[in-house]
Amino acid sequence: MPKRMCVLTALLLVLAVSASAFANWTGTITIWDCPRWGNEEDDKFHWIKGKIAEFEASHPGVKIELVETPWAELGEKLSVAIAGRAWPDIVPVDISGAINRNHLEQGVVEALDDYMTPEELEDFFPGALEAYTYKGKLYGIPMSMSVHVMLLNLDHFAEAGVEPPENGRWTWDEFVEKAKALTFDSDGDGVIDKYGFSTYILPGYYEAWPFFYMDGAQPIVNDEFGFNTPEAISAIQKLVDLKFVHGAAPVEMGSSDVGGTFRALAREGERFVAIQPWNSWAIATVTGEGVNHMPNVMVAEYPIGESGRPITIGGAGGWVIMYQKDRSKLDVVVEFAKFLSTTEEQYTFALNYGTFPSRKSTEAMDPFADQPLMARAAEMLEYAVTVPEHPNWAQIDARIQAELQLIFAGEKSVEQGMNDAAAQVQRLLR
Amino acid sequence: MLKRIWKARSGYLFILPKFIFFTVFVLVPIIWSFFVSFQEYRIFGTEWVGLRNFRDALQDDLFWMAVSNTLRYAVVVTPCSVAIALILASLIHPLRPGAQTFFRAAFYLPTVASSVVISMVWRWIFQTRYGLANYFLSLVGIEPINWLHSSAWALRSVIIMAVLTPPGVGVILYLAAMGSIPESLYEAARIDGANRLMQWWKITVPLVKPTTLYLLIVSTIGSFQVFDQVMMMTQGGPGYATTTIVHRIYNVAFRDFEFGYAGAMSMLLFAAVIVLALIQSKLVSSDAEYKG
Repeated sequence: MPKRMCVLTALLLVLAVSASAFANWTGTITIWDCPRWGNEEDDKFHWIKGKIAEFEASHPGVKIELVETPWAELGEKLSVAIAGRAWPDIVPVDISGAINRNHLEQGVVEALDDYMTPEELEDFFPGALEAYTYKGKLYGIPMSMSVHVMLLNLDHFAEAGVEPPENGRWTWDEFVEKAKALTFDSDGDGVIDKYGFSTYILPGYYEAWPFFYMDGAQPIVNDEFGFNTPEAISAIQKLVDLKFVHGAAPVEMGSSDVGGTFRALAREGERFVAIQPWNSWAIATVTGEGVNHMPNVMVAEYPIGESGRPITIGGAGGWVIMYQKDRSKLDVVVEFAKFLSTTEEQYTFALNYGTFPSRKSTEAMDPFADQPLMARAAEMLEYAVTVPEHPNWAQIDARIQAELQLIFAGEKSVEQGMNDAAAQVQRLLR
Repeated sequence: MLKRIWKARSGYLFILPKFIFFTVFVLVPIIWSFFVSFQEYRIFGTEWVGLRNFRDALQDDLFWMAVSNTLRYAVVVTPCSVAIALILASLIHPLRPGAQTFFRAAFYLPTVASSVVISMVWRWIFQTRYGLANYFLSLVGIEPINWLHSSAWALRSVIIMAVLTPPGVGVILYLAAMGSIPESLYEAARIDGANRLMQWWKITVPLVKPTTLYLLIVSTIGSFQVFDQVMMMTQGGPGYATTTIVHRIYNVAFRDFEFGYAGAMSMLLFAAVIVLALIQSKLVSSDAEYKG
């Protein structure tokens, strides 16, 4: 009995020491974050700086180091950091790009199931949790959701005398007719200088992809390449024809020029395209102040094809916690990540940053009551699909997009391009 | 040996910072890449796979496409940049010292600018709708060219940019080499009735051959390592039209996370560059070097 008591006492002591270690962990947490929305001084990191100050004040001895990183460099920088095993503690990424399934399988990212109560999980939309779940484990705290939408420059519509689609819904045929009518010579010099539609093709970006899903196709079906099926070929061909047969898209359509494409829609003085698909973050950009402010803009769905639904591509953003050797530090890191993802913070994001909340409780606060464009875009989440989950997705995506670039440059037929993609992708699917 | 080093310690001290920098940032990564190329590199623990990465690289269509693009780039850019440097230096060399200094600075300063910045400027020049290149073409009635987004023109555009970027280092080195050619040789040629062009061809060009050889080797290595211009201007596309070896290595390493495979391709590139440099050295070197 005394021996048992000794063991019990020892165990209790160990537990007490561990608990006090958790409670008293001090040190530095490194977080990478990217530009959000600006304040009066146009500091686009003011939100995270404020949260860091609050957390440090409530956790004496904990210092949080912020590494300001442009969105465009986040993936590459993180890849290099992972290769050098010098990753940050928290980073705002999803788990299908710079962090991918291979990393999850190698244990580079912390699974957070033990840190989330059933009540906490219940507050998140299933789609948001699904985006951070791999093989039944949760690898991040969803902060926001997004969806691809069509942005319409209504001034361009008015100039061409074209009515925008009623409530932003249109069939493919209606879309083509309007795009054609929006393509014209505005200055009478005999050269067409206004176009109905444009978009770009680049690995990792999916603005054009909902068109390819339009007739019911998917890129991967039962571990087989799906973009060379008749449904996919017909859908891609329709978009190709918009450029080469109907002439309703400029020569740049299908190039990799992201910035140039956006300027063609939104930049004051450079606008010449009426309709473009963008991620919903762009709504905040074109309705906010600055050179990309569009005075009259509308949000519309992707056109409805043979599938009968205005399919779009959705995604989720959130905080991923990288592997922590020090488990007591992990507790504090998770606490900080949760601190950044509360109902109130998501509300702030929805109001200022053009993202949809991943929490039901935030949605209940009706953040888009005064933002009709965001409210309309939120309705499209119902039709959102996600890009396939596959450990080799980055490589598969790069090969498909390379072939799509050639197709939209008019250098390959749709069938040839997608069959070439199939030959390259099949090996990666095995 | 140690005594000799101690005797020349001041010299060694001067080169020590550069040597440390070279060791940490060049030598160690090269050796590390060599070992990684025989492994399947994973974040926690690696697996020795022998020559599998090399075999995969040699069977990879994209790698050979990248080799082809890189060769096409190198074959044009290397001789052009060396020839332009030689011509510019030859035009600057006879000028008065003040004018020489001005042109030296004018041609060398752009090399200080980041290639990323230069690429961004060229991306604007090649912009299809508002770019300077198509504007000039329109003045002579030529239809706009889709410079960066068509397979036919994308690589040519990158090559044009590389050729038209002033070869500042080459100009400086050629000017130094020309300055060391004795004036008596030109005087003798003039007495023999040689005109300026003949003097240049028969005296200047042969006597700057060591510099030409050096520039050819360095430029070839640079051409085989072309990356940032491609990354900034075309990202390897459209399709794979501008994918170069280093761009492919970069994608394999940092997009696909196959560091062993990327290491194997790096080693193949390393070997190819060494072989090419040796061949160039054999072909171009001659006894015409001035040893005055």
